[in-house]
Amino acid sequence: MKNLLNIIIVVLFAHILNSCSNSNKDSRDEILYWCSNDNYEIKFANVSTADWNRDNPKDQVKYQPVPEGRSSEEIILAAVVGNTTPDIYSNMWQGDVEAYAQAGVLIALDSLNGFLDFLYERCDSAVIEEIKSLDGHIYQIPWKINPIMLIYNVNLINDLDLQGPPQTYSEFFNASQKFQKDVDGDGYVDRWFGYSEVLVTWWQRFFDFYPLYLASSDGAPLVKDNKAFFNNEYAVGVFRFLQTLYKKKYFATEQLTARQDVFLASIIATRFVGPWEIAHAEKFKPKGFEYDYTFMPVPDGHEGPVYTYGDPKNIVIFKTCKDPQAAWNYIKTMINNDGDLRLLTITNQLPRRKNLNSNPFFQKYFTNNPKMKIFAEQSKYVRGTDASPVLKEVFDLISQEYEACVIYGKKTPEQAVKDASDAVDLLFLK
Amino acid sequence: MGSIAPENEIGNLTLLPKSLTLSSYSQMLDKIPIGGAFINSLIVASSITIGVLIFGSMIGYALSKLVFKGRDLIFYIIIFTMTLPFQITLIPQYIIMVKFGWIDTYLALIVPYLINALSIIMFRQYFKSIPDSLIDAARIDGCNELQIIFRILWPNSMPAIITIGIITFMASWNEVLWPLIVIRDESLMTMPQLVTLFAVGGRAESQLGVKLASAVMLALPIVVAYLFFQKYFIQSMASTGIKE
Amino acid sequence: MLVSPYVVHFILFVAFPVAFSIVLTFHKWNIISPMEYTGLNNYIRLFNDKTFLKSIGNTLIFLVIHIPLQIIVALFLAEILNQKIKLRGIFRGAFFLPVIVSGVVVTILWQQLYGYDTGLLNRLLTGIGLDKVGWLTDPNIAMSSIALMATWKNVGLYIILFLIGLQTVPTQYYEAADLEGASHLQKFFKITLPMINPTIFMVVILSTIGGFSLFIEPYIMTGGGPLNSTVSAVLYIYKQGFFYYHMGYAATLGLFFAFIILAVVVIQKKFIEKDH
Repeated sequence: MKNLLNIIIVVLFAHILNSCSNSNKDSRDEILYWCSNDNYEIKFANVSTADWNRDNPKDQVKYQPVPEGRSSEEIILAAVVGNTTPDIYSNMWQGDVEAYAQAGVLIALDSLNGFLDFLYERCDSAVIEEIKSLDGHIYQIPWKINPIMLIYNVNLINDLDLQGPPQTYSEFFNASQKFQKDVDGDGYVDRWFGYSEVLVTWWQRFFDFYPLYLASSDGAPLVKDNKAFFNNEYAVGVFRFLQTLYKKKYFATEQLTARQDVFLASIIATRFVGPWEIAHAEKFKPKGFEYDYTFMPVPDGHEGPVYTYGDPKNIVIFKTCKDPQAAWNYIKTMINNDGDLRLLTITNQLPRRKNLNSNPFFQKYFTNNPKMKIFAEQSKYVRGTDASPVLKEVFDLISQEYEACVIYGKKTPEQAVKDASDAVDLLFLK
Repeated sequence: MGSIAPENEIGNLTLLPKSLTLSSYSQMLDKIPIGGAFINSLIVASSITIGVLIFGSMIGYALSKLVFKGRDLIFYIIIFTMTLPFQITLIPQYIIMVKFGWIDTYLALIVPYLINALSIIMFRQYFKSIPDSLIDAARIDGCNELQIIFRILWPNSMPAIITIGIITFMASWNEVLWPLIVIRDESLMTMPQLVTLFAVGGRAESQLGVKLASAVMLALPIVVAYLFFQKYFIQSMASTGIKE
Repeated sequence: MLVSPYVVHFILFVAFPVAFSIVLTFHKWNIISPMEYTGLNNYIRLFNDKTFLKSIGNTLIFLVIHIPLQIIVALFLAEILNQKIKLRGIFRGAFFLPVIVSGVVVTILWQQLYGYDTGLLNRLLTGIGLDKVGWLTDPNIAMSSIALMATWKNVGLYIILFLIGLQTVPTQYYEAADLEGASHLQKFFKITLPMINPTIFMVVILSTIGGFSLFIEPYIMTGGGPLNSTVSAVLYIYKQGFFYYHMGYAATLGLFFAFIILAVVVIQKKFIEKDH
């Protein structure tokens, strides 16, 4: 009896002790590169690594898509905690980087040979400032962006006798009012000028509040120096703009996306969306349907270029990489001229590089894909996210005030923005 | 109101838009590994139940029949842990799982639940009613303690075993908060966990039929078990209440 | 010794976690970075955290609605089932089924009832000419809707408990009351209720503990909305710990909440349980 129990206890403890020590990863000879599980990006990784491997037998790179169905965020977190990170990861959302940088799991890329020179050649200085970490080092390489812009139904807009798509808040209201209809006469509006999901989930703000805020404020940050920065007229203006849209039923409060694509079905005339919609629209648009993109609406009297949110995804090298210099050499081929052109042609996503619309190297692509031209133009005025380890929560807090003010009309925009700002400051309590 | 219960499930199926729900089932099977989740739940719930029965009876026996130093102290500690709300141990328990490397393993789901205060108390209660003479006789025959438990006590405690077994199995089958915390790998998820994520996440793509199909699949095993063992279920749950 | 596995388990999964939990409350930690000592910051944050305090309020609202409702409905149905009516066994069985089925299933089913446009309830209402009700979209009634569902789910268990309690009341009391010409209501209030007080107390405690663990129903049904009216305390702690990985803060919330639970249970014991 005693023996059996003693054995159980010993086994339990042995296992505990065993698990306590970090299991050593098998030493890898090749460089492991995790790409997203988007089909086109997998294709890109395939072609890109094949090319590299052919010319570099010593530093083979193996690509592997992140498993389907799980949030890639969680996969990376699990890998970090379990010490099983890849060498290169290319789908890192910019907002996540700061937390990992502060945790010390990423390589400081500015220490690699030739990195800074290459970076300054490819990207403009505003972008480089944006991706710098709070400690001054650089832990990410800007790879691609998908700017949020205003897509609109060309025919419907023309029918409204406007001089083109609305560019300012007033024009937007004007167009909305003209467009609003109750087609089936049941007393409820069923044609809305635009639509944004009324979800309170934090990332939904990337498709309404945040791009509008950036457009209105010329790319101002949300948080700065560990404090909320957005308690200003721009955020308040955006809240008021959206609140009015919902109050006057220019935007629908019910969930429309449960059924078909309401933009293609002409139930709404506009939407805040990125270039990915193009592929979808080309495939499913009804005959005679014409659409185009323009810039996000701005407050009346706004001057200068219109900024927006670019949903940037960047490349990082984890500290577990045995040869970061070799990894960087491979990455260079992903983002040089050839690599960026490849990105465009295979995935139709924009590389985050300067002069995209004036560089003759990419001319042919944009001639073949005219709808993407405006995104190239926009790419100069795109913002990602601020460097902060608690970004997700900042957006969550903003979303909660968004819900109270914009959707339920229970608070004034001034009060809502202030409350969000106070809550964010509490977050940074040191 | 209760009679609405079975009707609800059927009513939902008929009041929905035309298309037959069988296609929902096949779609659902395509989207999520529900079969795998079922097996995971089965493994986890069975292991926990067996573990609880074994350990519960062992400790219950020790507390009821044996005399040793610290016996009363342990008894009071056990009572105390029953009053401790889980909310306080949730976070550190997760951290322990991380440190041991048990995240995304069956171990994380099973081990913390292997020893259950309620089962110990219930076994102790039940064993007290078993005459000491039976046990003494066995000792004279040369049985060691473990043999006493499994050869003598268990056969004489079937009601307690069934009761505790059912309660434990049911509770661990339905447990969803803990799996949500320690399991992120889809191939290891338990059934309620998988259905939850399916219902809440975007995988169902707002297709109602598929969501309902998964809910029905989740309910099915328990309902089937219930139809067969109804009497025992009700008795078990009732006696938990009384013991409190 | 036989109890050694228990001791190991206890230390590992009870004693250590509680101690560690208390230590954590004074630190900031997100798992991937090293722990950072922050003194009382988490506590300051807790008392300024309107959403957390609201979540505790929500949980209490849930209990205030759910517990009395549960007692009334369960007792009422138990009374009925106590009479020797036909098909009694089948009703008991049917009522009990939702108890053992996973809360996940019940929630998904009830979502179909509560849906604003496509839900069964609202379709019925508009069918007979009434307005739609924002069961889950109206911040004032969303929590009540969840409480209603929880009552439906668990009523079977409490019916069984009440049945047992009712059957312990000696019939002589009723017979004596009949002789004095007491009405059914009088019998109920003067005899039944006092006699089943221990059962009532037990029902209160069980549904309280269950109510404080409220998590999966709001998680699936509303995600905590609208306007945070259905965020239960556990849901909020879960989000803080496992979505944002604020481990220290979440531990603080958990500790605080555990005290509230203990306080409520003690208060209930004082006021509800009468000496035999």
